[in-house]
Amino acid sequence: MATRWFAALVLAAGCATAADRSEVPRWTSRAIPEARGDVHTADGRRIAVRYPGWTTQDFGRFRTYAYDDARPAPAVQRATPPPDLVGDASRGRALFLDRAKGPCTGCHLAPGDDVWPAGSVGPDLSTIGDRKLTEAYLYQQLWDPRVTFPSTIMPPWGAQRVLTPQQIVDLVAYLQTLRGPAPPEKDPDRNPFTRRKPVGFGDNLDPTNNPAVVRAEDAETLWNARGPAGKSCADCHSGGGRKALRGVAPHYPRYVPAYRRVMSIEDFLAVHAPETTGRELPVESADNVDLGMLIKMSSDGLPVAVDTTSAPARAAIARGQATFYKRVGERNHACADCHTPERGAGKFLGGRLLGDVTTGLTRHFPTWRTDRAEPWDMRKRFQWCMTPLGMNMLPADSIEYAELELYLTQFDNGKPMNVPGIRH
Amino acid sequence: MSEIGKVRLRLPASIKPGDVVRVRCLVIHPMERIERDNQGKIIDKKYNYIDKVTVTYRGKTVATFDTTQSVSENPFFAFSVKATEPGKLTVTFHDTHGDTYEGSADIAFS
Repeated sequence: MATRWFAALVLAAGCATAADRSEVPRWTSRAIPEARGDVHTADGRRIAVRYPGWTTQDFGRFRTYAYDDARPAPAVQRATPPPDLVGDASRGRALFLDRAKGPCTGCHLAPGDDVWPAGSVGPDLSTIGDRKLTEAYLYQQLWDPRVTFPSTIMPPWGAQRVLTPQQIVDLVAYLQTLRGPAPPEKDPDRNPFTRRKPVGFGDNLDPTNNPAVVRAEDAETLWNARGPAGKSCADCHSGGGRKALRGVAPHYPRYVPAYRRVMSIEDFLAVHAPETTGRELPVESADNVDLGMLIKMSSDGLPVAVDTTSAPARAAIARGQATFYKRVGERNHACADCHTPERGAGKFLGGRLLGDVTTGLTRHFPTWRTDRAEPWDMRKRFQWCMTPLGMNMLPADSIEYAELELYLTQFDNGKPMNVPGIRH
Repeated sequence: MSEIGKVRLRLPASIKPGDVVRVRCLVIHPMERIERDNQGKIIDKKYNYIDKVTVTYRGKTVATFDTTQSVSENPFFAFSVKATEPGKLTVTFHDTHGDTYEGSADIAFS
């Protein structure tokens, strides 16, 4: 019964996207090479081109948000523990805590002062051994929990070949050792259910507090500089970089008829600047991000007001919403798994408090990332999410991301713009 | 892209004679960290970081700070100054490559 209902849903969703997609034109990326999501082959190995320091692992065998990626969700797999494998609880514990391999602690709490930082997206496993669950049941839960819970957030670790049968047997052996009562908590911050919430980094518009403000103010030089075509931004937009376009940014992302697609300020700069000034301003270049920040900053305090009513906007938002709920990548996660209040929002993923889409997550972007020492626009933030999902990122200026950004931004409507933000 | 050495200085909006004012300043600087090669050996080179900060008020040096490589990129400094008379407050940053960067603000009474 559950399978039939699930199949019908998949079919319906498939038809909907197939019908809507005809309106979406092909788009050649105007992003810097690291931001295009290219994959090249060297020594017979496929290597993804990504930003410096990011993983170059190719996740090509897993489905993505691309509108032309019609691959279905991975099939639900039944599995039983191979009888010849013996679980080792200490190996299982090491794997449980290994954030690079099977990041169990990202979602689940387990006993031990070295379990840090654990998350609260999944159930607390501190006393799961007391529940007298069978080895076969736990093995299936780790291999592919969708057999029992069709819409679970938990990735199908075995079915997606992230963990081997031996590793899963080890994990099961470890889980069976977790008996109550749980030891008293020495540090309330260890436990994600009692941990203090982060308080932020203070006034994001104070240039002595947020280096992104300095970056954006410096972009005024760029605003006034003539490009190869002999013109500058200031020649057509009068009033100075900090004022000329006040009131423009709250309406972005929006559908731009000339390009038949939804565009953010950054997407638009990448096509508009070369056409008018002759200056190349590729998406994700420092100049593009800085100039975008300057333009958005000039609208600080104004309420976000993206179009949600015109026919192209409605169609784009519907596609963006489908992207938000589409499960993708090695982990078979959707944006919605972490960022809707009925699933992960407001809970801890490891040490990170997950944002709630319904409160609006976009109006402080581009935002300074304190751990990266650079401002990121919404697209680079999207691309950063792709790596833990185990999905190849799309080009930063892809229509898929633009429509996803529009879907997210409509939740900010009516709330004041506050650019640049500052976040960890 | 911001250039190295941009300085931003902030004072309280209103200052009265005799107030102890909090000065906040930020300088754009890479503050290079120690780099290691593949064998884990420290690469020997002249790392560029700010090692000295001087504060002058009305032309007189009122404070100097010695800083080290362990201060973060784009460092932020805050300190207090007693505003006795109106005048110029200048903060100068010196780095190990011999460059100096300066920011200043006027202390005026309202």
